[in-house]
Amino acid sequence: MRGSSGPARTRRSAAILAVIAATGVAVAFTSGPDGPGAAREVGAEQQVNRETILKGRQLVLEHGCGGCHGGDANPAAPGFLAGITSPAQEFPIGACAEQPGAEPCWMTRPRNLTPDNTTGLGRFSERQIFNALRFGLRPGETADVEITSSTPGEGNFPLSPKYLAPPMPWNSWRHMPDADLWAIAAYLKHGLKPVSNQVEDSEGPPDFWASAYTEETFGSYPAPPFPAAAEQEPVDRSLRDRVLAGRQQVLEHACGDCHGGFQNPNAEGFLAGASAPGQIFPVGPCLEDPSAPCFMMRPRNLTPHPEAGTGRYTERQIFNAIRHGLRPSGTPDRDITPETFPADPDFLGPGMIWFEVRHMSDADIRAIATYLKHGLKPVNRVMEESDRHPDGWGTFYTDEEVGTFPAPPFPTVNEVGG
Amino acid sequence: MVAIVAALLVALLIPTAGPSASTSTAGTPPGAAEPDPTHALPADTLVTPPVLRNASREPNTVEVTLTATPTTLSLVPGSETAVFAYNGMVPGPTLEVYEGDRLIIHLRNELPEETTVHWHGLHLPWYADGSPFHPIEPGGQADFDFVIPQGTAGTYWYHPHPHHRSAYQVAKGLYGAIVVRDRDDPLPEVAEKLLVLWDNRFLQDGSIDLPEAQSMQGRIDFENGREGDVLFVNGQANPTVRIRPGEVQRWRIVNASAARVYRLGLQGHELLYVGSDGGLFEKPVPTDDVLIANSERIEILVRGTAAPGSIVTFQDLPYDRYIPQTRPRSWDKPRDLLTLQYTDETPLRMEVPSALRPVAWMDTTDVTARRVMVLTQGFINGKTMDMSRVDEVAELGTREIWQVENLVGMDHPFHLHGFRFQVLARNGVPEPFPSWHDTVNVPKHETVRFIVQLDDYPGKWMFHCHILDHENAGMMGILEVR
Ligand code: HEC
Ligand code: HEC
Ligand SMILES: [Cu+2]
Repeated sequence: MRGSSGPARTRRSAAILAVIAATGVAVAFTSGPDGPGAAREVGAEQQVNRETILKGRQLVLEHGCGGCHGGDANPAAPGFLAGITSPAQEFPIGACAEQPGAEPCWMTRPRNLTPDNTTGLGRFSERQIFNALRFGLRPGETADVEITSSTPGEGNFPLSPKYLAPPMPWNSWRHMPDADLWAIAAYLKHGLKPVSNQVEDSEGPPDFWASAYTEETFGSYPAPPFPAAAEQEPVDRSLRDRVLAGRQQVLEHACGDCHGGFQNPNAEGFLAGASAPGQIFPVGPCLEDPSAPCFMMRPRNLTPHPEAGTGRYTERQIFNAIRHGLRPSGTPDRDITPETFPADPDFLGPGMIWFEVRHMSDADIRAIATYLKHGLKPVNRVMEESDRHPDGWGTFYTDEEVGTFPAPPFPTVNEVGG
Repeated sequence: MVAIVAALLVALLIPTAGPSASTSTAGTPPGAAEPDPTHALPADTLVTPPVLRNASREPNTVEVTLTATPTTLSLVPGSETAVFAYNGMVPGPTLEVYEGDRLIIHLRNELPEETTVHWHGLHLPWYADGSPFHPIEPGGQADFDFVIPQGTAGTYWYHPHPHHRSAYQVAKGLYGAIVVRDRDDPLPEVAEKLLVLWDNRFLQDGSIDLPEAQSMQGRIDFENGREGDVLFVNGQANPTVRIRPGEVQRWRIVNASAARVYRLGLQGHELLYVGSDGGLFEKPVPTDDVLIANSERIEILVRGTAAPGSIVTFQDLPYDRYIPQTRPRSWDKPRDLLTLQYTDETPLRMEVPSALRPVAWMDTTDVTARRVMVLTQGFINGKTMDMSRVDEVAELGTREIWQVENLVGMDHPFHLHGFRFQVLARNGVPEPFPSWHDTVNVPKHETVRFIVQLDDYPGKWMFHCHILDHENAGMMGILEVR
């Protein structure tokens, strides 16, 4: 199995956790996510065909499921999606996310998503996986039923919902269309070889995070109508469709988990850069060995402010950041081909999971760039730079470490079908 | 008057102390002081629940009356608690029979709500199972009449099983032991103790602490099953049992707790594990501690190996059956159950037989069905209980292998009504010797395989998690045997 050394592993954890520490996980039970008639098509499990499985695979790659569940965005990597194998891959959630030893502290553990019958998702139905991704409901603790409401006690939504532990980004995944979530479920159940790997259970508060997952922090489902408080209509109205498409991609790809505001476009500081101390997180060898060096990652202001945000860049530069990991401020504005790829690339640090989100389609990435530049209100917030690796991260981003783009053909050694 | 005569008759027919005897001590070793609960012993001496009076004059027949009533008892010193009780006591009186006896039970429900009584572990006709299919109205009565099969000597128990209310009614005090005896018991000389374990939680005013389902404690109770902080043995907290140095005692232990799983150990003593739900093993198994999950029974031999005058504690040792989210803070602390006090008498010399009774493995070659039961938190095969649904159908007289897979991070003790079974393997490891069970604990993320013979009695039989709060919530299914 791949070592747990991938600096990307810290990912969204720190960010989410700080918020939860601040909320303090009260003992009251809030009603959880809101949103009427959330799952209309649920139950009509899709026909399992190759198309669906390939679509599911694509979604799993571009959403970076493997960043936490194993193997990053490389379906050929040993242990791809098979769950964590070392304590270094656990997430400390709560006050200890910022200050080791502080209470409360819960260790959470990304689970085995392969269809193994006893240690993975084998005994769970596609509907249970759908319900995990749409509603955050733990498959092992939730009935295998069609859920037609997100109000506890109604429409099969459990009266005492048991949510997946942070940093599982279900608050973001739920924004994917039904068909996408079914495709992911189909891929996990039918496109992967079962791997036996029992992941120890996550810890958590006795309310199973119900009081931590507030609408205020994580936004509502469905998302509020555009434009919400942090957003604005594009001046050029012909861009509106692309802005809306980009917003959808930003919500479902969890950009706000690191760049601020989670999936709540009504939140102050939405995408305006890390705002809580915990959203600034270390990557590097120190994760395994505390005496080794660390690089602090500071998710940046993505609002179109001309000095502090993406107002400085073209949409093409933003595209190149997401597809190629090239720092917009340090990369000329040009189409990137093998020939034009910089000789001495200035890469973004691995806290930015470009090597996962790069698997999005060209159109989706362009839409994101348009949304950032034209659909958000500019926020004047200057983020301190992230720590730079002496060699600009170039030596870190090997195919071995972050997989290839495009992804290897289906099926790899970890997959079945064809 | 009639009762006394009947009792005498039975006593004459059965030379060793029989079902009508008023203590549960099957035989008293010569020279061993038999504690008499009524005279001259300290108040903390373990009291044995009285044996139900046999009203029948017929040979090989036991006829008893059991009445469930609301009443007030002092369960913890200094306070009164409103309880439900069988024949006015908590635990209820012990039902004693011999293998082959005809058992007639008259049950009266004087509770303000429906109840049933499930004769846990007995092989009996479906109508008599006391499952949610046969509720007894408040003020109602039910009669049961069936024969105890040969070869089933062991310790059983009875408790209510109404739909969604078992946890409540057991918490209110409804539980009692059943002892099925073998006329050729291999341990006739060994003094016997019956220990019925139960726990509960009380409010300041002495009432039973039953929190609202949606309160934080209510939800914790639902996850873990409701555990108490007062641990009772036969209704007493930390009672004392006396033992003569060198003496061997046979302890029959019933776990009547809704949710607490006990890991039992006796300080400084090796135990001889001699029996499970369905009675004795082939031979004693030495061990330091024994796990007894909800509704299970065990039999152990306690050997008085310590010095005269010693005092040791019988404890519930830490055992982590919990999901991390609701694991109690004090789960890793041992709890005292009972004090074992050695007398100053000269040591006895008692031998433990090396063979107890033959127990043969069931034949696995002619199995007609294999079933997989997937346990998740509150669900069996992804479903909750529906009285109008049959989950599994089996043919009467056939033999099946069931594989119970626990996918979640807490233990679930799995109970099948009506039919006893033999565990074949736990987590792929073959069971070292055959033994009889009606409940098996399926530890977190583990798999248990058992073999069961579905003989004699067609009907709709329950299988469920015996954490009563889980059972209440519907972690239960129906096996129709026809
Ligand atoms: C930032 C880390 C992270 C990412 C990225 C992530 N997960 Fe998770 N996931 C977790 C954690 C942590 C858990 C365990 C939660 C728990 O134990 O309550 C989990 C649990 C799950 C479960 C429940 C499994 C079970 O057996 O209970 C499913 C299903 C799942 N993730 C699917 C996905 C999919 C699909 C993706 C990509 C679309 C994904 N996850 C991306 C962290 C992550
Ligand atoms: C796991 C945390 C994380 C997530 C999720 C994430 N980012 Fe980032 N992002 C970062 C960090 C950290 C940086 C800064 C890296 C550096 O400076 O080396 C960054 C930098 C960027 C930059 C470069 C900005 C600049 O001014 O240099 C862009 C553009 C960007 N991210 C867009 C996105 C988009 C779009 C998404 C969602 C599809 C996203 N990010 C999701 C952590 C994240
Ligand atoms: Cu259970």
